[in-house]
Amino acid sequence: MRPSRPRNRENESDSEKAMEATINQARIAIRENETILEAARRGGHFIPTLCELADIDHAPGSCRVCLVEITRPGHEEPAIVTACNTPIENGMVVRTRSRRVREMQRLQVELLLADHDLDCAVCARHGDCELQDAAQFVGLRQSRYARPDLAKQRPRDESSPAIIRDMGKCIRCLRCVEVCRREQGVDALVFSGAGLGAEIAVRGGASQGASDCVACGQCVLVCPTGALAERDETEIVVDYLYDPDVITVFQFAPAVRVGFGEEFGLPPGTNVEGQVIAALRTLGADVILDTNFAADVVIMEEGAELLARLKEGRRPTFTSCCPAWINFAEKLYPDILPYLSSTKSPQQCFGVLAKTYLPERMGIDAGRVRVIAIMPCTAKKDEAQRLMFRKDGVREVDVVLTTREFAHLLRREGVDLAALAPSRFDSPYMSEYSGAGAIFGTTGGVMEAAARSMYSALNGRELEHIEIRALRGFEAVRTAEIDLGGSVGKVRLAMCHGLKGVRTVVEDVLAGRSDFDFIEVMACPGGCVDGGGRLRSKKQYQPNALKRRASIYAIDANKTVRQSHNNPQVKRLYQDFLGEPLSHKAEDLLHTRYIRRRNAVKQTIAGIWRDITLSTLVHSEFDALDAHRANAGREAKAPLARSGKTGGRD
Amino acid sequence: MARVIYGAWDGKVFDNRDKGIFEIEPMPELAGFDFFNEGNVVKAFLGDRGFFVFEPGVDLLDALRRYAEEAAEESCGKCTPCRMGSRLVRDKLAQLCRGEGDAALLAEIESLARHVRQTSLCGLGQTCMTPLLCALEHFPDMIGETRDPSGAAAVQHAMHYVTAPCIEACPAKVNVPRYIDYIKNGQPAHSLGVILQKYPMAATCGRVCVRFCEQACRRNLVDEAVGIKTLKRYVADLERGLSEEWFSKDMIRSPQPAHLKVAVVGAGPAGVSCAYHLLLKGYPVEVFEAKNEPGGMAASGIPSYRLPKEVLRAEADIVERLGGRIRYNARLGKDFDLDGLFAQGFKAVFLGLGCDKGRPLGVEGEDLSLSGLWTGIDFLLQVHECLQGAACMTLKGVVAVVGGGNVAMDCARSALRMGAGEVHVIYRREQKDMPADQVEIEAAKEEGVVFHFLTNPSRILSEDGRVTGVELVSMRKGEPDGHGRRRVEPDPGSERLFGCQALIGAIGQEVDAACFGASDGIRFNRWGCVQADETTLDTGRPGVFAGGDCQLGPSTLINAMADGLKAARSIDDYLHFGRVRFFPRSRMRHMISEFRALSKESVEIPVENLYRVEVKELDPNVRKRIFDEVEKPISTEEAYHEASRCLRCYRIYSVVTESPIPDAAL
Repeated sequence: MRPSRPRNRENESDSEKAMEATINQARIAIRENETILEAARRGGHFIPTLCELADIDHAPGSCRVCLVEITRPGHEEPAIVTACNTPIENGMVVRTRSRRVREMQRLQVELLLADHDLDCAVCARHGDCELQDAAQFVGLRQSRYARPDLAKQRPRDESSPAIIRDMGKCIRCLRCVEVCRREQGVDALVFSGAGLGAEIAVRGGASQGASDCVACGQCVLVCPTGALAERDETEIVVDYLYDPDVITVFQFAPAVRVGFGEEFGLPPGTNVEGQVIAALRTLGADVILDTNFAADVVIMEEGAELLARLKEGRRPTFTSCCPAWINFAEKLYPDILPYLSSTKSPQQCFGVLAKTYLPERMGIDAGRVRVIAIMPCTAKKDEAQRLMFRKDGVREVDVVLTTREFAHLLRREGVDLAALAPSRFDSPYMSEYSGAGAIFGTTGGVMEAAARSMYSALNGRELEHIEIRALRGFEAVRTAEIDLGGSVGKVRLAMCHGLKGVRTVVEDVLAGRSDFDFIEVMACPGGCVDGGGRLRSKKQYQPNALKRRASIYAIDANKTVRQSHNNPQVKRLYQDFLGEPLSHKAEDLLHTRYIRRRNAVKQTIAGIWRDITLSTLVHSEFDALDAHRANAGREAKAPLARSGKTGGRD
Repeated sequence: MARVIYGAWDGKVFDNRDKGIFEIEPMPELAGFDFFNEGNVVKAFLGDRGFFVFEPGVDLLDALRRYAEEAAEESCGKCTPCRMGSRLVRDKLAQLCRGEGDAALLAEIESLARHVRQTSLCGLGQTCMTPLLCALEHFPDMIGETRDPSGAAAVQHAMHYVTAPCIEACPAKVNVPRYIDYIKNGQPAHSLGVILQKYPMAATCGRVCVRFCEQACRRNLVDEAVGIKTLKRYVADLERGLSEEWFSKDMIRSPQPAHLKVAVVGAGPAGVSCAYHLLLKGYPVEVFEAKNEPGGMAASGIPSYRLPKEVLRAEADIVERLGGRIRYNARLGKDFDLDGLFAQGFKAVFLGLGCDKGRPLGVEGEDLSLSGLWTGIDFLLQVHECLQGAACMTLKGVVAVVGGGNVAMDCARSALRMGAGEVHVIYRREQKDMPADQVEIEAAKEEGVVFHFLTNPSRILSEDGRVTGVELVSMRKGEPDGHGRRRVEPDPGSERLFGCQALIGAIGQEVDAACFGASDGIRFNRWGCVQADETTLDTGRPGVFAGGDCQLGPSTLINAMADGLKAARSIDDYLHFGRVRFFPRSRMRHMISEFRALSKESVEIPVENLYRVEVKELDPNVRKRIFDEVEKPISTEEAYHEASRCLRCYRIYSVVTESPIPDAAL
């Protein structure tokens, strides 16, 4: 919410028409409430930036790299300002490339690098780092102030199975805080400490796992450096591939195939399903199957479950495919858990079938099977480790690679995806999918898939207009009413993506203010196509969202089978193995339960007072600063007396 | 009067190094810079706009290094130049002090210092390099690139003080930018922690404070002041559930001996604040309250549409959570006296009994036994009691309120809520002269209160013991008085009758003199308030201190709470040292305010306009008949936005003195 920076600038008033400024000797008409950076970008003047991220309207002014020199009308002396948060004014003269500006920008980046972990060759962002870019843009050729000891003192948080937070690489741009707060509404990150100890921490000082963090990974997507990254598990996959005793079974998510080509120079949104299959073959994968198949299975189970609940008058039911949403519900709104569908996610349904059904059909030893999932998601790593997703200590899904790790894996193995001829699945078991399974990757997709199958179950015939436009859209929370016919009739649906909108929906349900039958939740804005494990994009938040979405819907449109229940492999699964949806076996394998994990931080004022920095307390025994000074002594303690109190804020 | 040997301030350079010390013309602006504490000469002063050296033999480089050390320590770490630059400057100045410097090092220091000043995000970074840059520019020879390290052993005594205009404006000196920082940073509990450093009643203050801080806010120079009060209420409300469990006896880690008992008279804001701080210091405290509930004027004098009673009550309860005892229905002068307290073993007493006797209008026909005639404070008290379920009353018809202060506004708005048909405010000056908070005036107007300016009552009309009206006289403006306000005087012949069923005279309050007897040894000043030293709050009777309204006259919540803290500090000193010690930070504040170092601010660089958060209110047509809280809380998102408007105008001030500055309690 920034009422002050109106983003819709179409209705400009007359008074603004005459406003003009000069940037690098070029005149430019300026708009009200516009920053120098915005005007410069419109005019094609490049200014190096680092903390700023226009796509989420984020300009905290913390990195101070975007320096420009301005002369204001009526002022003789030029001044140095940051372009990102200084308003441009009528008559202002801006120079972005003067010697003074270049030297100061350079010094700034040099200061940024002083406590930065400069071990770039081993960094997750090697070659794809905005800080490296900034250093190049300002012409930095040396780093006089580099202090590796300072970087080493900064914490590295490896407590989460999904995300590693390496503060030695943090530049305090605050993008992660902003996206967690404003886009996701989770608000699990805080800015803590002071001076060189200033860092982004998890609220309450807890580990990521014990905190409100839901592992959605949106913070990773906006991080300009390698400070935030998924836990890299490619090495485990390489081990499996090289182990002759292991039978590797690969699955990849609906959204992966439309969000992967650009890594290898293909246009964003290209469907590279065939190339991914070919690449996996090149890597030596034993069995290549599709998560989309499992998505169809989920619809069979969830659809049946929902119809049963509707008949019992239990409403609403929330979808359960998104692990970040499950974390969110368990940690922040445990009272909502009874409303969640018990059906496991496609990843886990796939995993459990790959270790039961598949070995049985293929006549292989289930103990040799290792399931590797390629997901556009960080929370899936977290999900795969849940204790209830193990049978006798054996995980249903052994490793989850994000799309990014998969790209690393291909590069490590010298595979150029773009050069590969597309291939096809060749398994008669868990690889075929319907159009309904394919659209799981985008917001509204699960709902649409479910509606197609439920309609059929209730009416004994297929839905006529199979593409349900009412469910497609991009608003954070969409609602629709559709007629399922049969004994159920009209149902009220809601589709939410981005946890900020979810929060409101959940609160409404808990307060009895809402009237929905079925609510689809995807934690990431846009759904899985823009999940926290997708490829990163520098200086942009969701540049390819719409292209990926269009591709997903195109896959659906081109399928002859468009309903989950018509997928022949799904039919065979039920015929040969599960019996019916919600059968005893299906319940046992494909359904789960949830745990209340509310994280109550107990704080006392004494503890808080000991924690407060940069503010002197009235009662010295709580003064962290004093305690710190008494214990640690002070660096470069002078031979001079200190009387009075320093930091003497009163 | 201080004589500047050399220095620079606000771009103006002073260089008298070639003159004898007595040839130098003293600067009247620097009155009060001679001595820091008794006999302790101020040798140099460093601040956000430059520095002065008053005595020969000042090691300027060392003073600058220590100032830089302070700056590095105060850096919040958010922006690059201040976080790393201030530290590099500090380290390189230390190198220079050790005699390891050369011309290249000096040049590097200058370039880094300039960089920090020009590119830092907030006021701290933008100002903390100024003394160093002034010295480098104008007095490079006083720093020198080479230096004999053995010569640096001479001890220089110094003290640093970090503040901001909003902090200085606040009577309680709450670290406002810091609590805003903590909101911005996503740590509201810490934000509340910063406020609770100074007083326990944060949610109360966040509702009714008069906001001296917002008047001083430098954001006023850009667009509008930061909504400091609103943010305070936000954190106090957000953490209220938690904070109920925050305080317990367990947190007092170093209890004082049991015989050092302290009595606090009055459980209003001053008394509660004093008891809070004494309890935190470990003293056994008993509070004596005349009424049957805590809160004092905040309970009875502030209507619940501004301050819901349960909010106040929860905060006053902190005293008992910390192990303090409150004795209700114990009135000074009636149920106990000062000698009695000392006889009971109390070693010190804080008088925070308030100023709750309404001042009569002093016009013909005034008889407080008349039905329908109240002083403002009595009226509010009766409203309060009515809302508590006792002695209810209803108002009908036309109500006239005399006065232009906040109490008058409270009376007018409360009268509406009690059922008055019309409410008229009668004020003898113009609207711009009204001492009431502008927000309150606007709110009253929205609710339909009618204002009559340049009007005064001259006679009260009654029939059968009931008020039936008031004779009003027009006032005309005369010459300005000593305070710049124009005198007003009645315009003879302009008298007219104004029919009303009730008349409330809210023109001032005084201390109830009946509380004291001659044996108490308490003196009064010419306004009828308890006489006490402004700095120490010492009444002259050993061990008795006084603060809040009874010493200040009708004042504000924040002044009262600030006095509570001040008195706690004095009592702590008195009980340990038999006297109140010198308080260096208070001295620093006086120096800064005398010098007006924080005034005449301007913002040189354009700053983005960010609109102040709009606090939503109950609809005037709904709220004017009910006592529900008018102002709605703001959302988390609004709080983040509002917090982001703070410019963090921190400044560091530093003195170098001849001898050590005496240590004092924090």
